[in-house]
Amino acid sequence: MLNKLRFLATVTLVGISGILGSTVGFASDPPPADEAAGSVSIRMYQVEGSLPADDPNSPQWSAVPESIFKLAPQVHWPERIQEVTVQSVKVKGLHDGQNLAILVEYEDPTDDAKDAAAIEFMVGDKKAHFAHGQPMLQVEGGPVNIWFWKKENGKALDMSAQGFKTLAAQEKQDVQATGAWEGGSWKVVFTRALQTEDEQDVQIEPGEWRSVAFAFWDGAVVDGLVKEKGSQKAVSSWWSIRAEPSADNSIYGWVIFGLALAAAFEFVVVRKLRKGQSA
Amino acid sequence: MRGPITSGAILLAGVFVFLKFILPLFTAPLPASLIYLYMTLAFSGIMLYGTMSASSLESLMGPVFRFLSGEGQSGTGKLARLAVLVLFPLLVGWQTYTSLAPSDLPPGENRTIHPAPPGEFVGLANPYQNNEANINMGKGLYAAYCSPCHGANYDGKGPAAKGFNPPPANFADPGTIAQLQESYLFWRIKKGGVGLPVEAMPWKSAMPRWEVELPDEFIWKIIMGEYDGAHQSPRTWEEDD
Repeated sequence: MLNKLRFLATVTLVGISGILGSTVGFASDPPPADEAAGSVSIRMYQVEGSLPADDPNSPQWSAVPESIFKLAPQVHWPERIQEVTVQSVKVKGLHDGQNLAILVEYEDPTDDAKDAAAIEFMVGDKKAHFAHGQPMLQVEGGPVNIWFWKKENGKALDMSAQGFKTLAAQEKQDVQATGAWEGGSWKVVFTRALQTEDEQDVQIEPGEWRSVAFAFWDGAVVDGLVKEKGSQKAVSSWWSIRAEPSADNSIYGWVIFGLALAAAFEFVVVRKLRKGQSA
Repeated sequence: MRGPITSGAILLAGVFVFLKFILPLFTAPLPASLIYLYMTLAFSGIMLYGTMSASSLESLMGPVFRFLSGEGQSGTGKLARLAVLVLFPLLVGWQTYTSLAPSDLPPGENRTIHPAPPGEFVGLANPYQNNEANINMGKGLYAAYCSPCHGANYDGKGPAAKGFNPPPANFADPGTIAQLQESYLFWRIKKGGVGLPVEAMPWKSAMPRWEVELPDEFIWKIIMGEYDGAHQSPRTWEEDD
């Protein structure tokens, strides 16, 4: 009888530990980012059908949840600037399994020919410094891929850099962009294939995280000079971006498996207990 | 009379309240994983104590077994047992779902905030005299070069600070420059973010590599101005220095 009780005690102990473990959420740390601090990542939602790739004002965008990132003046390199026009950016992303579209929306009171926006990605496995992948002293860094849109060109440039003064347009241009200014804010949509043949490009594999950063230039002319140009710009830090993986229905299989396992466990315990009590 | 189950539950609740709410009054809050570990240890201790002899085992587990087996139950007891038997698999299913469902939280990163400096920057002494003229010159340089991010009040809240991740260091916080030697600051200012080792994630830091723009003299004087302005003193290892 005592041995049986010991066995049952052990089984129950394991069961209760399982419950405790599964409810550890009650003591979980608060999420790392709050509303005021901004987002930490962008999710490119998967859509069926066509992407609003060339229309920043497409109603399709309004249903997509946004991420918000604060911006700072570029101070890392000389010819820095201490105040910038664009203070934060709202970012939305979509993909259809083949192509992606990223919409950036930010406040800029005037529509100027020299206004510009850029999205930067780390390329490959090596970490790259967010300031154009400039060399680090103790770490071997990698290159960055920059998608650069300028109002006066009305299109995007697909560029690469690994350190200052190395920024150059790629031979193979894979990115398109369209901008629309209205009522003091720019909406620019960038689009590209998730994957390209060009090893200088960031390759987006659904489900995998990539590092992304943003930059914006207010091209307003003040006293005959363009307000922000070159390294004088608003920048973000590195954040994370991911193309949503295809819906994975195997999750529900595992949930049912878990339910069944727990129910079977209960059945065995209760049966043992009943036998023990009648013995 | 209180049974061992009630005593155990009170003990567990007490441990949780102590770890979660009382301890943070005196020290930094414990991470959830550590609280969970301590709770598991406390629970295991209670179970060990309760299963030491046949009689304690019976008084601890007997009510639980009778409740689960459902022998001779009626009314609320019967309902409560049914609820437990239904809720447990649901809880397991829910936990399975939340652990497998795709999350928008990128994988966690552990960034070392004050990594070890390279050997040549260990134990350097500030070659400039700690006098008012040097401190004032340092504060002037700080205002020009450092305050846009680190703040005119040395609190890391300069006008350019809010977009950076990691944020600029707050020198008024006793956890930053008060814990460091002057030679450490000399390294961090001279080599900037790109001079950090891999564990400090140099690719994220906006700190300029000031050796490109400022002579060593300016950097040493900025350090003096920084400590004075933030009302902190550098850490020293030898008291008789």
